[in-house]
Amino acid sequence: MTIRVAAVGDIHMGPDSEGLLRPAFETLSDCADVLLLAGDLTRHGTPQEARVVAREVRDLPVPVVAVLGNHDHHDERPEEVTAILRDAGVSVLEGEATVVECAGGRVGIAGTKGFGGGFVGRSAGEFGEPVMKEFVRTTRRSADSLHAALKELDQRDCAARVALTHFSPVADTLAGEPPEIHPFLGSYLLAEAIDTAGADLAVHGHAHLGAEHGMTAGGVRVRNVAQPVIRRAFNVYRLGGD
Amino acid sequence: MSDPGVQNVEYRVAHLQDRLAAEELGELGVRAEVRAGAVALTGTVPSAQCRERVLRLARQELAGLTVHADVVVAEATRPDHAEEL
Repeated sequence: MTIRVAAVGDIHMGPDSEGLLRPAFETLSDCADVLLLAGDLTRHGTPQEARVVAREVRDLPVPVVAVLGNHDHHDERPEEVTAILRDAGVSVLEGEATVVECAGGRVGIAGTKGFGGGFVGRSAGEFGEPVMKEFVRTTRRSADSLHAALKELDQRDCAARVALTHFSPVADTLAGEPPEIHPFLGSYLLAEAIDTAGADLAVHGHAHLGAEHGMTAGGVRVRNVAQPVIRRAFNVYRLGGD
Repeated sequence: MSDPGVQNVEYRVAHLQDRLAAEELGELGVRAEVRAGAVALTGTVPSAQCRERVLRLARQELAGLTVHADVVVAEATRPDHAEEL
């Protein structure tokens, strides 16, 4: 049995892009069982922009599961953005898990926005000024919640588990971005959470200049689905179920 | 004194990037880099209108400088195949 996961991130919708993705999304039932949205769905995180996203994905032929991105927080109203998307039927995850019933089996999705900090040997530490410690603790809390959500899915009889984040768990999929900004693009703490809890696929966005393919140190496939990277409305990954 | 437009090109590029992020675009995905005295803009934006606004801001902030704009609009077609994992 196969589970077909469609995913895209960084669609950065605003009033001028309304309707651009809908024609492709309406064909999803032909090729996918679920659509994952990997954050940065808006430009500034305003309710107006969130309503554009909501109209783009409302009543699609497959379930939609999302995390927010940093842009979706810019207006400092992530709860409103989340509520607008949920009202349109989107399952918005922040340190949570959800299970989608597919023809090929149950797929569990654990999601969190994630945050930065960098990668092993070149990462920020939880040390020094309060703002620096809080930066790293923000990432750690997000990674811990991802770990807990993936462990929860391990108990829910899923044929496949997917980790959905906005920030990247690995540096592989940042190839093409200036190395100097990697600490703002992701954190190894997310990959450590994925590897210790277990997953079949990790999907993220955020790195517009990055690469699609990567892998965690523990061997979990990572896919950067930022729309500028995949150059499509979405990509589809077929996971072999049990 | 040399032309301040050339002298301060690095800071002018930084100011352009600040405006791209802070103003109506909220755009963090466009790179602006100095190449041979000109400024090369690269990146992918969500709509044709966004591209026009990026170029308009660049013309304002980088007036007097040569700008090479390789900014493209995101593609919204469906994929023609899936990846088997």
